[in-house]
Amino acid sequence: MGSFIKLSNFVRIAPYLELFKEGLIVTVMLSALTVIIGFILGIILAMMRLSNFHPLRFLAVNRHGRLRNSSFLIALSKFNPFSFLATIYVEVLRSTPVIVQIFIIYYGVFGLIDLPGFKIFGFIRFNRFFPGVVALGMNSGAYLCEIIRSGIQSIDGGQNEAARSLGLSGGQTMRYIILPQAIRNILPAIANEFVVIIKESAITYTIGVADIMSAVNAVKGATFLIMEPLLVATAIYFCLCFPTSKIIAYFERRMSRGNKR
Amino acid sequence: METRDNVDFVPAKSADIIQVKWLKKYYNKGAIKALDDVSVNVHRGEVLVVIGPSGSGKSTLLRSLNLTEVPTDGHIIFDGIDITSKKVPNEKGRMVKLNIDRHRQRMGMVFQHFNLFPHKTILDNMTLAPIKVKHMPKAEAEKKAMALLERVGLAERAGSYPIQLSGGQKQRVAIVRALMMEPDVMLFDEPTSALDPEMVGEVLDVMKELAKEGMTMVVVTHEMGFAREVAHRVLFMADGKIVEEGSPEDIFSHPQNPRTQEFLSKVL
Repeated sequence: MGSFIKLSNFVRIAPYLELFKEGLIVTVMLSALTVIIGFILGIILAMMRLSNFHPLRFLAVNRHGRLRNSSFLIALSKFNPFSFLATIYVEVLRSTPVIVQIFIIYYGVFGLIDLPGFKIFGFIRFNRFFPGVVALGMNSGAYLCEIIRSGIQSIDGGQNEAARSLGLSGGQTMRYIILPQAIRNILPAIANEFVVIIKESAITYTIGVADIMSAVNAVKGATFLIMEPLLVATAIYFCLCFPTSKIIAYFERRMSRGNKR
Repeated sequence: METRDNVDFVPAKSADIIQVKWLKKYYNKGAIKALDDVSVNVHRGEVLVVIGPSGSGKSTLLRSLNLTEVPTDGHIIFDGIDITSKKVPNEKGRMVKLNIDRHRQRMGMVFQHFNLFPHKTILDNMTLAPIKVKHMPKAEAEKKAMALLERVGLAERAGSYPIQLSGGQKQRVAIVRALMMEPDVMLFDEPTSALDPEMVGEVLDVMKELAKEGMTMVVVTHEMGFAREVAHRVLFMADGKIVEEGSPEDIFSHPQNPRTQEFLSKVL
């Protein structure tokens, strides 16, 4: 380990390039699946937080249908269990480190479930990969929920009023009017989240997911070189994240044509 | 005798398409009374214009008619059905849960700020509700939309996005978008208040034409000239109450109530 970065050292790690290639595929698949799971989970959570479900509503009025004076009962009548659960989920997931969440999912949840040990494409170990996807997806779902919720709330109330006045149902209004506009508004934030996930997925090497970072570790073990594989990993991560944000910025410009002349 | 607890006997086909009974809208547990016991009937085929100072509750009244604003108390009977109750009789007379969307389809609404859908073209703005709500075939909806756009002189803008239109054009589109659902009543909430002065005329012209065709219209407006010329009946509201009601001639030429006189002296 005495020598610092040398060109010749890159030649020494060249035989392990296959590891980086496999790691790259793992990282991309992991991030893509995470975003899909996170986005679906985020929409469900956002709908729960914005839902208008108050099962204890009857507590607010007395027998004669008049509003009660008790402020405690009024507060209780506004209780929304969906919103409450989603809020707890989001706040817990956002206030704890990802690595703790990953370990809890891997050892706590999937320690009890025996996952099949088969390999996808011959090199992705399912029983490591799957807990990683679940943990990261659950984590990014919490962040995406907040992004989606703010996007929905940023849409002018007049849009909802206009759609409902035409006879569209609440669900149709959300699907055809509110969500398309909200998602367009939050696209930069979602793109940012996707880039964050690509970078954050590096942490899954701690539970044995063979991603780019795990390739660095393997090369280090075999060659006793650390800076060179790290620089290779840096280059790969940069080449993933930088174009991704640029591509999404391009689509964002194209989608905003309705808002600009 | 008609009492406040018994409005069920209202005949199915009344001469009044909308009956508003004892409508109240309170904020802050009654500290603010936006609507204070308002009762008014809208006759079929009439143009009812609501005027009054800002904060008088005229917009709240209009927005309550299709439950955009949920009243604190009172009844709104639309074509024989009390849409403020949770259960209503269906065609077979059985009590079913009220589906407000079915009634809203029949009440077109035009807003002060147009509220066109910015992510959809003019044509898509107009055809969305007929296709999704009435399950009208797309081709038929587009044909109908083009005919309506032709009438308001905007056929060549069908493929444009709302942002590319002027305020007056947007409001004309908003009117024909509501007409796509073939409503029984049109509700106008200050339709010209957000327009540049030179564009007010083009929107009022469309409204006048609608009135001539016999459309039932409830119009909240500050356009006294329009009220005088087109209205069959004028309501003057102040402090959440209907202060005076009468023909345009009565209200504008011989106002009885001092509040009406004071308001008209300021705006005329």
